[in-house]
Amino acid sequence: MERLNRDSVIAITLLLFCGVFFWASFDIRTPNYGVLKPSTWPRVVIGILSFLSLIYLIQSLKGNPEIATAKKSDRESGLRGWIDYWRNPLWCFGLFFVYLTLLPVLGMLIDGIAFVYVLMGVLGGWDGKKPLVHAYIAVLTIGSMWSLFTFGLNVMLPSGMFMDSF
Amino acid sequence: MVIDNILGAIDVLANGHAMLLMAVGVAGGLIAGAIPGFTIAMAVVLTLPFTFGMPAHLGLATMVSVLVGGLSGGLMAGILTGIPGTPSSVATTFDGFPMARNGEPGLALGIGVWSSFCGGIISAVLLMTMAPQLAQIGLEFNPWGYFMLVIFALTITASLAGKNMVKGLIAGALGLLVRTVGEDEAAGMARFDFGSDGLLGGFDFIAVLIGLFAFSQLLNDVRDPEKAKKSLTQQSNMQVRIEHRRAIAEILKRWQIVTRSSLIGVFTGILPGAGGSIANILAYDQAKKASKYPEKFGTGIPDGIIAPESSNNAVEGGALIILMALGIPGDVTAAIMLGALLMHDVVPGPSFITDEPVLAYSIFISFFIATFMMIGLQSIMLKVFVRVTKVPMYVLASIILGFCGIGVFALQNVTFDLWTLLWFGILGFTMRHFGFPLAPMILGVVLGNIAELNLARALAINSDLTPFFTRPWSLFFMIVAGFSALFPLFQGHRVKEKFWTLFYLPAACFAVSLPLFMMGGIPRTVLAMVLIAYGAYQLWRRRQNGWRFQAKENTP
Repeated sequence: MERLNRDSVIAITLLLFCGVFFWASFDIRTPNYGVLKPSTWPRVVIGILSFLSLIYLIQSLKGNPEIATAKKSDRESGLRGWIDYWRNPLWCFGLFFVYLTLLPVLGMLIDGIAFVYVLMGVLGGWDGKKPLVHAYIAVLTIGSMWSLFTFGLNVMLPSGMFMDSF
Repeated sequence: MVIDNILGAIDVLANGHAMLLMAVGVAGGLIAGAIPGFTIAMAVVLTLPFTFGMPAHLGLATMVSVLVGGLSGGLMAGILTGIPGTPSSVATTFDGFPMARNGEPGLALGIGVWSSFCGGIISAVLLMTMAPQLAQIGLEFNPWGYFMLVIFALTITASLAGKNMVKGLIAGALGLLVRTVGEDEAAGMARFDFGSDGLLGGFDFIAVLIGLFAFSQLLNDVRDPEKAKKSLTQQSNMQVRIEHRRAIAEILKRWQIVTRSSLIGVFTGILPGAGGSIANILAYDQAKKASKYPEKFGTGIPDGIIAPESSNNAVEGGALIILMALGIPGDVTAAIMLGALLMHDVVPGPSFITDEPVLAYSIFISFFIATFMMIGLQSIMLKVFVRVTKVPMYVLASIILGFCGIGVFALQNVTFDLWTLLWFGILGFTMRHFGFPLAPMILGVVLGNIAELNLARALAINSDLTPFFTRPWSLFFMIVAGFSALFPLFQGHRVKEKFWTLFYLPAACFAVSLPLFMMGGIPRTVLAMVLIAYGAYQLWRRRQNGWRFQAKENTP
């Protein structure tokens, strides 16, 4: 039953998403040239997506076992259980978010090394010689990749305000 | 003409720089393919940022090499550890791992490597011969036909999601919607930008692909904290020598299996959405059915390695045939190849081979060269593979996430692409968790603007919608899309012996024959008549069986 509810929630979210996009499609300006209006194709796609989401909702409400395929997890219930279960992906998303936020300040090299180092630490632990090994791996891999793009492929990677000040 | 093009392609590839890049590509692909959890598509998509500064032929040759290497790399993990490196080598483990455990890992690897080689070569030959022919047919397509071809590709990809067809279709439609964000290509009007400059430019589709596929896959691999800390194998002294001579002898004795499986691979590759993961199981199943000793399958016999390995390497040849001839990617990896072509301002389609013969043939030739290189590099990379398997998953995932950041930024030097990577990584991860297939969404993103542009062209020529039903190719793809959409329902109901399923195949034959008649010409008319005759025969057989698929056996 839990799985069916989850499918129904996804279907309703999709319908709401379609509603927002359909409403936003009225902001698309129509030029006085061309046969196909710029809003027509998106509206066709939104229409199809809404129709499919509706079928998905009906199937999930009818308890069609074929549609209730969202994996049942072995995690404990409650917020704590949820956070424990998704700990690693949440760290990855969170650290990547921080990495992107700090990119203009630290630049690609320092930010990249810091991101890989901290991520390895939170995923693999900080015990024993791990911090040293992780630091070595982060500097070596991101440093060589940065060098390859900067010197080998002549790509201007962001240097960051921190490095610019030197 | 063809010889000139081949010589022209060899001329641009026969130099140290190109060979080195291809060797690195094959080696990288072999390792990426060998690591469970790292798909070939991921390896190819991560190679893309490195190639953008290269000339088109070099960039594509490198990517083709990664692809060929990746297809062959999966067998190393499958045979030595029992864990398939990629979904396309799942069936290889059925007999490869038992043979290795029976004390013949060198022979198992040799058979796998040489079967991959044979599959690759057969598919490369077919790629070179079939793609130009198919492109000639593609020139007959008008905007109505092209639009319906895209719809067919999306429908069949979604229908391959099996029981999750609705989810597959939703994923495909989501992909199409994602592609509409930003300025539209026909009129240049802003769509769904919500006042953001980043959204006004639209999502870079390579960033979307890396986010949806690579980012979400990596997070999936490290989801379990305990598994993330473990390496693939704890074995410290895995020393194997590939037995080339014995392997070749075994394969030569079973040339029919190689040929049949390679053809299965090519055909599966041509079908949009069906990739190596389907081909290797299908080829294994066919080899077992055709065998005189099916009971031995699964115990470690050469046939069980030859069939999946020759088919999975042949798949990409098939996918490239449809990509290069029609501009429609056959699977996710081909979609990324399409991205690479677009990045180099090359738009594949029916006129691609004629307009860019050297570039097109350089792709064919690089497929050949990479297949040969794979044989030589497999022995060397086996040692590297053994070392890589000792690295814990979390280390590999962290490094690759760091590489994703640099690589995606380098595509356009735009920070917004990195945010795209993050958001689509979250979306891909969520979709995986809730059982939504990602392949239809990726194809939707890739094919979205092709569909819209052709719809716009069709309506500019004639604002009436009837040509969608009266133009032969459009009608053909519409019918095939309709029947492929019904296929999962047919499969489900056939088991329950529902009456309507008796008419599915005959109806499909009759319906498809109609546009074939409309196309005219002797071969197509003959084909249409054959289809009608076959449909009528199937109908007659079902009637003879008392309106059943098979006659009821008379039990005493």
